[in-house]
Amino acid sequence: MNVRKSRQLAAAVMVVGALTVTTACSSGNSNSGTKPEASKSKVAATAITVGTAADSVGPAIAEPGAKKGGTVTMIDRDDFSHLDPAQVYLNYNSEASLLFTRQLTGYKLQADGTSKLVGDLATDTGTTADGGKTWKFTLKDGVKWQDGTPITSADVKYSVERTFAPFIKSGPTYLQQWLTATDYRAAYPGPYEGKELDAIQTPDAKTVVFAFQDVHPDANFTVAMTGYGVVPKAQDTKEAYDKKPFSSGPYQIAEHVTDKSLDLVRNPNWDPATDPIRNAYPDKWHMEFGVQSQQSTERFIADNGADKTTFSFHNQVHPTFIDKVKNDAALKPRTLEGLTPYVDYYYMNNTRLKDQKVREALLRAFPHQQTRQLQGGTSYGDYATNYMSPTVLGYEANDMYDILKKPEGDPEAAKKLLAEAGATGQTIVYAYNNTPTQQKVTEAIRVGLEKAGFKFVPKPLDAKTYYDAIGLTNNEYDLYWGGWGADWPTGYTSLQPVWDGRAIADGASNYAHTNDEAINKMMDDAVKIADPIAQGKAWAAIDKELQKKAYSIPDVYQRSLSLYGSGLGGVKFDSLFGLQYPLNIYVK
Amino acid sequence: MLRFLVRRSLGALVILLVISMVTFELFFAIPQDPARLSCGKVCTPENLALIRHSMGLDESTIMQFWHWFSGIFTGRDYSVGHCDAPCFGYSFVKQEMITDVLLDRFPTTLSLTFGSVVVFLLFGVGTGMLAAHKQGKPADKIASSASLIASSMQIYVAGPLALYVFVYATDWLKQPAYIPITEDPIAWFSGLLVPWIVLSLIWTANYTRMTRSSMVEQLSEDYVRTARAKGMTGRSVFLRFAWRGAMGTIVTVFGIDLGTLLGGAIITETVFGLHGLGELAIRAYFDSDLSMLVGVTLVAATLIVVFNIIVDAAYALIDPRIRLA
Repeated sequence: MNVRKSRQLAAAVMVVGALTVTTACSSGNSNSGTKPEASKSKVAATAITVGTAADSVGPAIAEPGAKKGGTVTMIDRDDFSHLDPAQVYLNYNSEASLLFTRQLTGYKLQADGTSKLVGDLATDTGTTADGGKTWKFTLKDGVKWQDGTPITSADVKYSVERTFAPFIKSGPTYLQQWLTATDYRAAYPGPYEGKELDAIQTPDAKTVVFAFQDVHPDANFTVAMTGYGVVPKAQDTKEAYDKKPFSSGPYQIAEHVTDKSLDLVRNPNWDPATDPIRNAYPDKWHMEFGVQSQQSTERFIADNGADKTTFSFHNQVHPTFIDKVKNDAALKPRTLEGLTPYVDYYYMNNTRLKDQKVREALLRAFPHQQTRQLQGGTSYGDYATNYMSPTVLGYEANDMYDILKKPEGDPEAAKKLLAEAGATGQTIVYAYNNTPTQQKVTEAIRVGLEKAGFKFVPKPLDAKTYYDAIGLTNNEYDLYWGGWGADWPTGYTSLQPVWDGRAIADGASNYAHTNDEAINKMMDDAVKIADPIAQGKAWAAIDKELQKKAYSIPDVYQRSLSLYGSGLGGVKFDSLFGLQYPLNIYVK
Repeated sequence: MLRFLVRRSLGALVILLVISMVTFELFFAIPQDPARLSCGKVCTPENLALIRHSMGLDESTIMQFWHWFSGIFTGRDYSVGHCDAPCFGYSFVKQEMITDVLLDRFPTTLSLTFGSVVVFLLFGVGTGMLAAHKQGKPADKIASSASLIASSMQIYVAGPLALYVFVYATDWLKQPAYIPITEDPIAWFSGLLVPWIVLSLIWTANYTRMTRSSMVEQLSEDYVRTARAKGMTGRSVFLRFAWRGAMGTIVTVFGIDLGTLLGGAIITETVFGLHGLGELAIRAYFDSDLSMLVGVTLVAATLIVVFNIIVDAAYALIDPRIRLA
C-alpha cells in the first residue's frame, strides 16, 4: 500500500468480449497547490478487458524495435519479501514474479497500453456454466517447468492445495475460502498429510475444475493473482521454497542472496508460443537491493556506466528531485508517470461518529489541497472523490461533496452541517503516524477542522505499531489515514474487504468499522452478477452509496513517478500494480 | 599476563550474558508485534495466532530467551531445519538462520573497516604528530583547522557529496559495491574506494586532533624535559618518549573504535548501499526483525568487549609503567 505521483487523472475502464463500459473523472492541479481544480486536466486511460481464446495464444505482442540479449539491472530499496507464489500478495513481489511464475490467467499488455485478461497457462480465461460456481480451465499444450517436465492439471490442483498449509501465511485467501469455508484451515490442512481437496477436480492432465461453495463470477481474475501461481510437487521444499521457486516462466533463478541480490537467467524450457503475456528480451536480469530512492534517483539522472541499463520496479523519484525530473526535457523520454490502484482514505471511525451530518461536515471541512501539497503535491496523487479507484472496472466519477471544486475545504458548509447536527465544537481525535511529514499534515488538518468548528485532538502513534493501533475495533480515535488497493481490478476486492460490515475484526481491513446492512446486502448481490458490465455498475452503485452515507474521506488516488536508464527500451508503467513493468524491457 | 587474560575473558562472558539478557528483554518488551508483519494484507486473528505460535511468541519472554540462549551452545531445531551451534536464532522476516546472515554480512563490514582504518591511522596519527611537532606553526594551524572542519562533517553529508562529485557527476570512481577480495581484488578495491575516503576523512580528523593533543601533553611532561636536559636528540625524545606515552590514549580509543566499526557502520553502509552488519541492523529495526536485531547487537557488543581486552593487554607492551596485576 504505497506508491505515488503526479498530474491528472481520468480513467476509462472497459470490458470487452462484446462489452464496454467507461467512465471518467478528472482532477489535477499545479504543484503550487493554490488553484482549485481546473478543466485543463489531461485524460489518461487505463483499461481492462477480458480476452478470448485467440487472445490467449502466444507469443506476446512484440515491443517495436526490441532486440534480444544483454543484461538488465534492477535496483530497489528492498528485497522481495516472498517468491513462493502462495506467499505473494504485495505488488512488488508480483511484478518480479512475472518473470518466473505463471498462473492460469494473466494480464496481456496491449499495444495501446491497455490490459487484457487472457489465459496464461490456460487456453482461455476459463468457462463457467452456472454463473461462476464452477469454473473449468484447460491447460495449453507445451507448457513446461524449468526442468522440461510438462505442467499438468495435477500441478495446478496441488498448487492451490498447498495454499491451505499452515506455513503459508501471507498470500491471498480467496480461493481457499471459496472452495471450503471462511475458516479454511479447519476445513482442509493442505496436501502434506496426504489428503486431497475434492473441490478441485482434474478429470484429465489438461483440465482443472474448481467447485466453489457459492458463485464467484470474477474467479478468472482471482486466478491471475501471483498467489495462485503454480508450484511443482516434486520440487516443493515447503518454507524453503520461498527463497528459490521453480520456474514456469521465461527466466529461472540462478542465485538469490537475501537483501543483496537476485540473478535470473533464461529458462530453456519456456516456449514463447505458449505465452501471450511475456516477452523475454534480456538474456539475464541482475537485481540489487538496499538502494534508497535518493540514491536511485541520482543514479538514474547521472546515467553512468551500468546504470544506463538499469530500472527500478518500485523506487520512485525522490521528493527532492521531483521538480528537476519534471522540468528537465532530457529526462522526459525516460520518465514514467502513472496512476496506481491505491486510494488514500482518512477513515472515520463509524463506531464513534454515528451522526451522518457530522461525518458530512468532516468531509466538507477536510483540507485535501494542503495535505496533498505536504506530501508531494500533484505528484503524490489526484484528489479522490470515490471509494473505488478509477483503475477499477465500473468506476463512475462523482463529486458529491465538491472536493474538486473546493479541495482546500469548505468550512462554512461544514459549520452549517455541524450546527444542524447540534454538534458545533464536536471533538475529533485524530491518530497519525508520528513522522515529520505526518506531523505537518496533522497541523494542516487541525487548521482545516478547527476553522469548521471542530475541536481537534491529535494523537501521535508510533510508525511501527500504527496499523496495529488503528486496527483495534475499540480504538479511541475518530479519524485516521489508511490506504487500499484492489487485488484485481473489479469492485469486489476494491470495496468488500474495507467496507463490508461482516469483515469487522481486530486487525481486519475494515478500519472505518462501517456496517451498513443495505450496503452489505448490495455487496452480496453484486458478487453474484455474472455479467462484468452489470457487476461493474453494481459496485459503482455501492461506491455511490458509501459516498452518500459519508462513511469516510477519500483523499487521493495515488500516482507514481519514476526514472530508468537511457540504455533500455520498452520500459512501461504497469497500472495494475503501480510499478515499472518488466515484460517489454530490452537493452538497446 | 595469562591470568589477566583468563580473568578478563571470564568477566567479558558475564558482561555479554547481561548484555544479551537486557537486549533480548528490551527488544521483546517493546509494544510491537513481529507476527503482524508476517500476516499478509488480510490478517485474520486465527492467522495471527498461528504465526505467533510458529514464531514462539506465545511463550513467556523468559522461555523465549532460554531457547535462544541455549541454542547458541547446542543448536536449535526450526520447522525449516536445524540451526547448528552457535545458533543465534532464526529470522522469520528474512526466513534465514541468523548466524548465516551474520557470517555473510561480516566480510563487507570487515573490508570497509580495514580500508578506512589503514587510511585514518596513517594519515590521522601522522598528521597529528606533525602538528604536535610543529606546534604553533603554520603546519599545525592548517592541520588543526582542516581536522576541525573534517570532524564536523557528517557521513550523511559527506557521503552523498562524495558520491555526487566522484561518481554521478564525473564518473571518476565506481558506484560503491562490495565484491569479495577473493573474487576480484581490483573490483574489491575500486568498489570500496569512495566509502573508505568518506569514512576515513572523518575518522582521520578525529585521530589528528587526538594525536596532536596527546603528543602536546606528553611533550610537556617532566620526563620528556629530563630527557631533553640529559642531552637526548629531539628526534629520540619525540619518537621514543613522547610518542610512546601518547600511544596509550590512542590505542585505548582505537580499540573501542575498531570494535564499534566492526560492529557495523550503520550510516556509512546505508548511504553507500553496502550490505554489512550496520545496514543489517538498521534494516532489522525497520522490519521489526527482533531476532536479527538481538543477533547483530550481541555481535557488536562482543567485538567491543573483545577489543577492550586486547587494548588492556596492549597497554603492558606499550607502556612499561603499567603492569597487569
